[in-house]
Amino acid sequence: MLPLPSFSLLAPDRLDDVLAPLGQPGVRLLAGGTDLLPSMKHRLFKPATLLSLSRVPELARIEPTEDGGLRIGAMATLLGVRQDARVRAGWPALASACATVATRTIQAMGTLGGNVMLDTRCLYYNQPAGWRASIGGCLKAEGSVCHVAPRGTGCYAAQSSDTVPSLMLYEAELELLSRRGSRRLALSELFSADGRDGPRIERDELLRAVILPPPGAVVLHRKVRPRGAIDYGMLLVAVRRQGDGGSAVISALGPAPVSVRVEQLGDLAQAAWKASNPLSTHSWSSTWRKHMVRIEVARAVAELTTPRLAIAHG
Amino acid sequence: MPDEIVLKTTINGESARLLVPANRSLLDMLREDLGLTGSKHGCDVGDCGACTVLLDGQPRLSCITLAAEADGRAVRTIEGMAEGGLLHPIQEALHRHVGAQCGYCTPGIVMALAPLVDDPDQAVDDETLREVLGANICRCTGYTRILSAAREVLAGGDRQRGRAAGAREPSDGGTA
Repeated sequence: MLPLPSFSLLAPDRLDDVLAPLGQPGVRLLAGGTDLLPSMKHRLFKPATLLSLSRVPELARIEPTEDGGLRIGAMATLLGVRQDARVRAGWPALASACATVATRTIQAMGTLGGNVMLDTRCLYYNQPAGWRASIGGCLKAEGSVCHVAPRGTGCYAAQSSDTVPSLMLYEAELELLSRRGSRRLALSELFSADGRDGPRIERDELLRAVILPPPGAVVLHRKVRPRGAIDYGMLLVAVRRQGDGGSAVISALGPAPVSVRVEQLGDLAQAAWKASNPLSTHSWSSTWRKHMVRIEVARAVAELTTPRLAIAHG
Repeated sequence: MPDEIVLKTTINGESARLLVPANRSLLDMLREDLGLTGSKHGCDVGDCGACTVLLDGQPRLSCITLAAEADGRAVRTIEGMAEGGLLHPIQEALHRHVGAQCGYCTPGIVMALAPLVDDPDQAVDDETLREVLGANICRCTGYTRILSAAREVLAGGDRQRGRAAGAREPSDGGTA
């Protein structure tokens, strides 16, 4: 049995009452809890106060925007997003990415906002406290040495959100809210170069919604993981076709997703391979994960350009 | 700021008012405070599904759900599945098909499958069934008999409990 550390709990039902304590020392937001609570059981976080968002209904709404896009409330569940007819029709790669998260039960609990704001992950970090203590701790959690790169000074924990690669290629924006007002941030601006630094928003800001621009972008998402369920990805790939060329976002290899763009779609797999530098943040070989970048991007390109191949790759 | 939470909830049809520490998981509240030990501690971090309960009718992993989430909501556990002396149809089918060996995962599997069975309008294809079961780790059965039990109940069209005379009796050992 892994007990949770002690904390105080706030579960307001009004948005204003969420914003008031947000940013105060020791206060941490709780969305679906599917990553935060296991991490707290592993003593990766010991917040004095948890601020639950689950009682604020307006945060879970999915609604069209004036320009024909979609505004998905941060507390919309991954299962709800996946099953939403508008998402499936206009942004199908997001629906399929949500369907690859963990398990259906987790998808019914976890939220899109929580998935976007997911803590970076590493073989040496996402472990029980006793496991970490046995190797002298991990740099991101409590130690002084990174077991991935012992001679370095940085943290290489990997951005592992399943929804981020396709959302980036759909050019999603984040609606951020604080007592100071509201602002938009391109999702691609959210990520830090060091795995310890977390999302690049202010401490008093709440991710209120993910904004999708009008549909039209042709995007495909692929996930490589040990098992067909439960596991986080050891490689995440999203590919977008743009005329003769295209873009790819490669993730789960380092603290921030990597974007590449080429003029000829046939060059995309090689460009993505060149731009990818996985380290041993996962129990599977980083050499193999880099090798798989080229293969997975090529498969995605093949599916985008030859629809029949989509059947072959299931 | 409160370190303890007062909950008004309904557990297996009975309303309850409880005072629990803020850091109590729903699973620990059920097991330690209420003695409902049918829901199991497995991995304790949301991977294995052994702790699955229904919160307002939907499967939840109670080991990574705060007890406070049950406030104003209805909780159903494996202890509340039998009604009037009759097992839930999925329990009957698992029994007939011998869809359990050590049994540790079985309560969670019943709670994950029950909402599919209880919604007669929901067509459940095999892909969906497999995906739902993907949330519950069973290391004994290899899932074959669990799947055959679920398929039988879902395909039968008759999802009522006590559907056959002697439904609580084991069959000739299962033929799956």
